Amino acid sequence: MTLQVVNNATCTFCGCVCDDIQLHHDEVRIHEARKACVLGTAWFLNHTAEKKYPVALVDGKEATLDEAIEAAAHHLHEADMPLVYGMSNTTCEAQKECAALADQLGGLLDSHTSL
Amino acid sequence: MGGKVTCTLGEVKQRADFIVYWGGNPAECHPRHFTKYTIMQKSRFLPRGRKDRTMVLVDIRETKSAKAADTFLQVKPGKDFELITILRAMIKDQRVTDAQIEDTGMTREVLDKLVDQMKNCKFGCMFFGMGLSMTRGKHMNSAALLTLAAELNAFTKFVAMPMRGHGNVTGADVIMRWQTGYPFGITFNRGYPRYNPGEFSTVDVLVRGDCDAAFIIGADPGATMPQPAIDHLKRIPTICLDPHITHTSKLARVHITTAPQGIAAPGTAYRMDELPLPLKPALKSPYPTDEEVVRRINEELQKKPFWMPEGAPLTMTAHG
Repeated sequence: MTLQVVNNATCTFCGCVCDDIQLHHDEVRIHEARKACVLGTAWFLNHTAEKKYPVALVDGKEATLDEAIEAAAHHLHEADMPLVYGMSNTTCEAQKECAALADQLGGLLDSHTSL
Repeated sequence: MGGKVTCTLGEVKQRADFIVYWGGNPAECHPRHFTKYTIMQKSRFLPRGRKDRTMVLVDIRETKSAKAADTFLQVKPGKDFELITILRAMIKDQRVTDAQIEDTGMTREVLDKLVDQMKNCKFGCMFFGMGLSMTRGKHMNSAALLTLAAELNAFTKFVAMPMRGHGNVTGADVIMRWQTGYPFGITFNRGYPRYNPGEFSTVDVLVRGDCDAAFIIGADPGATMPQPAIDHLKRIPTICLDPHITHTSKLARVHITTAPQGIAAPGTAYRMDELPLPLKPALKSPYPTDEEVVRRINEELQKKPFWMPEGAPLTMTAHG
């Protein structure tokens, strides 16, 4: 079976953000990450397009995405002082949405930097 | 980042003939840093590559990175701030006693040579890691090192740069600065952003039990935070977005599986020198992206009444 190739892919494992990785994949998993270091290779090879986990869990039980989003919005709206935290392993586009979320909630906004 | 004396990694690659790593272990934590950006690269200005560059490693123990260094300086644990302050004095020919130098684990001979190298290089760069910024002194250590870099510009070109880990943590700083004016430790509880690390930083908020709900994205505090902080996350409704079921997912009331950034989710990530790079996802995920899920939660919240009562002042008053 021939693998598809993505040239100059970006690795987001560490702060180096190497943007010269060549990925060989079969649409389900990445089989090879050329030029990547040991950490980057592990990062690329450990994520797959398989459905390994349920879409969402609410109170430990499997739920649909709509139910989970509704539950999340409910808990955050009920709170007097909600916290929005993390944002390391995510894109800038999602980080911008998180800033909007904290603003809308009147809550706290923080990242790994404060540790 | 507010007045920091820095540059991009491209400039380091092209020009830096003197490189210091302070409190970091790039050989194991940023494996391609040496070969892609710093000591191993040949450039127009440094055509002989490694031979044209000098590397100094400062750390409390001899890590694997020491093998790559021309000089390894073993500083006594917790004495980084003192050593940086001594260097700041020595570059200006101010008096420093032998006892003060010995207290940091150094000798005058070694520091004289280091000061000489720092002042006489063409382009110096200091990379500082968590060994400097997460030990006794914390941000004061980083501030001292950045000041040393700034002061060295009286003699030659000198810059400093933090060695950021954790994928797009640099992007989080940049986005928060752009959206709120502050890099982290922010609250919107008066309707406008305020900044106060220690009061609004997560570990402190959780250990004191200040917050009554938590939204965790792209992080696993359930595995990394101190136990009292984890205990508080268990008490309150925690919502977790992650490509995997993490420790945090297991203690959360709501977990939503999302597509991993850069592998199945498109977008932008910032490199440690604050250069934004586009992501090129290779796979199509069966899960939604973080961006999509957070936007949908935002839309859901807009249907609910706003938290601040109507007519309440949104601007600062004399009483705050």
